Amino acid sequence: MAEKRQAKIDVTDGAAIPSAKDRGLLSAWWVSIIGALTAIALLSLSDNPAYFASLKFLFPDGIIVTFKVTVFSILLALLLGLVTGLGRISHNRAVNLVASTYVEVIRGIPLLVQLFYIYFALGHVFRNLPRMDEALEMFQHWPDFAAYGMAHICDFLKNMPPLVAAVTAMGFCYGAYMGEVFRAGIESIDKGQTEAARSLGFDRRQTMFLVVLPQAWRTILPPVGNEFIALLKDSSLVSILAVADILRRGREYASVSFNYFEAYTMVALVYLIITLLLSKGVSAMENRLNYYDHHN
Amino acid sequence: MLKRVSLVLMAVAILATTAQAKTIMFASDCTWPPMEFMSEGKQCVGFAPDLVMAMAKAGGFTANIQNTAWDGIFAGLAAGKYDVIASSVSITEERKQAMDFSDPYFEVKQGVVVREDTGIKTEADLAGKAVGAQIGTTGFFAAQRIAGESAKSYDEVGLAIADLAAGRLDAVICDDAVAADYALTNPEYAKSLALGFMIVPDAPEYLGFAVQKGDAKTLETLNAALKAVKDSGEYDTIFNKWFGSN
Repeated sequence: MAEKRQAKIDVTDGAAIPSAKDRGLLSAWWVSIIGALTAIALLSLSDNPAYFASLKFLFPDGIIVTFKVTVFSILLALLLGLVTGLGRISHNRAVNLVASTYVEVIRGIPLLVQLFYIYFALGHVFRNLPRMDEALEMFQHWPDFAAYGMAHICDFLKNMPPLVAAVTAMGFCYGAYMGEVFRAGIESIDKGQTEAARSLGFDRRQTMFLVVLPQAWRTILPPVGNEFIALLKDSSLVSILAVADILRRGREYASVSFNYFEAYTMVALVYLIITLLLSKGVSAMENRLNYYDHHN
Repeated sequence: MLKRVSLVLMAVAILATTAQAKTIMFASDCTWPPMEFMSEGKQCVGFAPDLVMAMAKAGGFTANIQNTAWDGIFAGLAAGKYDVIASSVSITEERKQAMDFSDPYFEVKQGVVVREDTGIKTEADLAGKAVGAQIGTTGFFAAQRIAGESAKSYDEVGLAIADLAAGRLDAVICDDAVAADYALTNPEYAKSLALGFMIVPDAPEYLGFAVQKGDAKTLETLNAALKAVKDSGEYDTIFNKWFGSN
């Protein structure tokens, strides 16, 4: 039987990272950043005071909240991603199945729906959890530390602040994507490395954490930076949870002043400048990591 | 033969003009019970839709109500996507700069919904508390006045109420009719939520139909129809249907 030839396309989110080799993209970056900065400066100084007013409305709390959501979410996503990635290549069938199912389920649900689900649907369930004192009474037959732990967990879930809910939702979603990044990174390391480490007497765990992961890190970091940028953009979705991020502040300004054009122009420009700066940082990091590849 | 043809043509022309009764497009954010909300049959129902339909009958126009998200409802009017906003829009000085209003059709106060056990009875009790409201409503303006920067805006009042019930907010401010609906009659929330107090306004607050700035023709039609409905007593019938006779 003739072997079926398969064209394989690597689908990445690479649109956000300009490659160092791509001169066209590099100049596009300069055009964009200078254009955006000039636009913000000119509009703020223009006769129409609505531009400056809407910009002022975004600073500083809107931008701080956006960064808070992004940074905490990426930290949670990295942790979940590492665990999931290791789970996906695990020889333990149960662990493998749990990790794979997590990725499959999360990937299949739109982020916006996940946000609504964690915040409003689960919030509705958590509302009926026992209060701190009720929980302590409920678990009084448990050992002290367990009862305290459960009571605190109940209390935390019951009173989960919007920011935590937003970070949890974003973190769980991107944790699944990150798991795939970690898995691909680990699998990219030559089998010989594992075999060599094992024959030198390293056990499985030592091989993974002392030999494979430190090398895989170099492959993993650029896509992680990329996910960070994607997450920052997606963080605008949390504005539906009454989390006062950049978009929410812009909307609040527009809903009062009716200056929709000015407000959303400024929101778009601020996002653009942030992501442009970040993508520059990520591509610089990628260049540094590629240093050894080029000089070997 | 030619005569008959022309007669038929004339008849068609006349019929067409009568059938061509003006259609006015209304936009409502149907998330504001009992003023305007989605029924189980996915129809926009409530006090305002009933009033609009009665006005259409009295004023001889066809009313077409489209459900529109609140955030952006004014932008849609300015962009000419519909002729009128019938969505419990309070007549304020700021809004009058951007659009024109019909005669008032309802008076509202701002009601403060709280959880049953919190004992919030005055504005002073709200100091340092988490206060929420729907974005761009007079309730949110009141929340901003009371809570400043920390006032939280939601896309829909129902989401704010959900957060209040979940304990993430201490108070939600909205039109009194809506506040009463959630706190007193809503089967999901009536047991756990209560109407804390009413904010005393500096001047009475009225709801009006909003039209594009300078759209005198639609305004005239609306005002005449509203007057006819009020004079015929139909307004009171609709009012009693939704708010009882007290």
